[in-house]
Amino acid sequence: MTKAGMIQPGLTKTGMIDFRGVNKWFGALNVLRDITLSVEPREVVVVCGPSGSGKSTLIRCINGLETIKDGDLVVDGQRVGDPATNMTQLRTEIGFVFQSFNLYPHKTALENVTLAPIHVRKIPRAEAEHAGRELLAKVGLADKVNAYPAQLSGGQQQRVAIARCLGMRPKIMLFDEPTSALDPEMISEVLDVMVAVAEEGMTMMVVTHEMGFARKVAQRVVFMDAGAIVESGTPDEFFSHPKTDRSRAFLSKILRH
Amino acid sequence: MVNSHSIPTHSPTAYCLLPTAYSLLTPLRAMLENFSFRTIVEYLPLFGQGLVTTVWLSALSFVGALVVGIVLCAMNLQRGWLFRAPAKAYIDAVRATPLLAQLYFLYFGLPRLGFVLPELVVGILALSLNSGAYISEIIRAGILSIPRGQVEASVASGMTYTQRMRLVVLPQAFKVTIPPLLGQAIVLVKDSALLSLISVAELTRAGQLLASDRFMPAEGFLTIAAFYLLLYYGLKALAVLSGRWLGTAGARA
Repeated sequence: MTKAGMIQPGLTKTGMIDFRGVNKWFGALNVLRDITLSVEPREVVVVCGPSGSGKSTLIRCINGLETIKDGDLVVDGQRVGDPATNMTQLRTEIGFVFQSFNLYPHKTALENVTLAPIHVRKIPRAEAEHAGRELLAKVGLADKVNAYPAQLSGGQQQRVAIARCLGMRPKIMLFDEPTSALDPEMISEVLDVMVAVAEEGMTMMVVTHEMGFARKVAQRVVFMDAGAIVESGTPDEFFSHPKTDRSRAFLSKILRH
Repeated sequence: MVNSHSIPTHSPTAYCLLPTAYSLLTPLRAMLENFSFRTIVEYLPLFGQGLVTTVWLSALSFVGALVVGIVLCAMNLQRGWLFRAPAKAYIDAVRATPLLAQLYFLYFGLPRLGFVLPELVVGILALSLNSGAYISEIIRAGILSIPRGQVEASVASGMTYTQRMRLVVLPQAFKVTIPPLLGQAIVLVKDSALLSLISVAELTRAGQLLASDRFMPAEGFLTIAAFYLLLYYGLKALAVLSGRWLGTAGARA
């Protein structure tokens, strides 16, 4: 078993997240086609594309919520899916924010944030609670510490979910359409928190169609279609001068609204 | 003897209905005249003992059934066939055969195989093994009712299988499981009546004794019915209380 942060033998360290010729099938459907993508430490990459293009599957592979069929996926120096890799350990370094929040309904906001730090990271309860309160204050929910998820709005729940990930002090944060399930007036409160996280130098991969967010903090936008990366570039390049017909067609659709 | 024609009435409808009413009431009145409340009171200590026995043997059996159910459910949730297949076979076997047949197998069959146990132990064993199969399915349904996102969130935060069961899945499944478990407890109390057939001195046995000693089956079985009703309302009240407690215990998702 290799310690987190150390590089497994036979691997040359490049990015924080490294896809090298990754393929995945759901039955006969090739959901990821020959993905090669490297995300540097502190980099923010936005992934967009039409529904069913494999964006969610792409980031779910990073923490092993989905398994890959072939190719190499190296995260923080560990090969995902390798029997020598301790996935449980690796996952503590990767925060994952879901579209549907997935907060624990039987726990308060604070308990949601402190659960994994206490039981997985083995941080003393008092210390974890102190850190948890600070994190909830940071996402603007200092007054909701003892509220249960059902008592919170969607935007508030998603901010608790982000705080829950940050409580683990991860090296990487993954966001799977974090604002898609939210009412329009709640989207900005969540995006503001994400911008703040990005500005602190977190390595992030964000599946989203929020172009304002992409322009503000992303170094790169990756456009996917039918399981393959079709185009990748800076937000400015991508949104102002898309190179392929597919991305032009996609952008014209999301811009119309 | 009642002569309904002698009763004067001005309404033709009432005139038609009266004989019917009388013909229904007459046997009822005769029944009440023959019904011996005095004997019931006389036998009350016996019924009381039977009730107490039914309560504690049901409680013990329920605890046993919970243990059997939890073990079976844990086996049934494994990925490999090694544990899952025997658990499934057991649950099917129990659900497909009558409890009475299972009870007789344990009571008459086990001694032939070299296990001689007191009837009370056999009875509790039978109820535990039988109810355990149903309870395992109740618990399994409770666990499977927890949304996949809950498991994914705990997996993503680096929890082990044991941690996510203990901290995330089971506490939520517990709440969903309580009402159907109490329903199963009610079924178990009623099933415990079968133990009278292997001469366990529980509530139904008390009714049988009154029926055979004094030839008063109506008194005997109506009385035990009333006691079962009492137990039923007790458990139902518990279900309502637990529902109220669970409702205020925080999570309202």
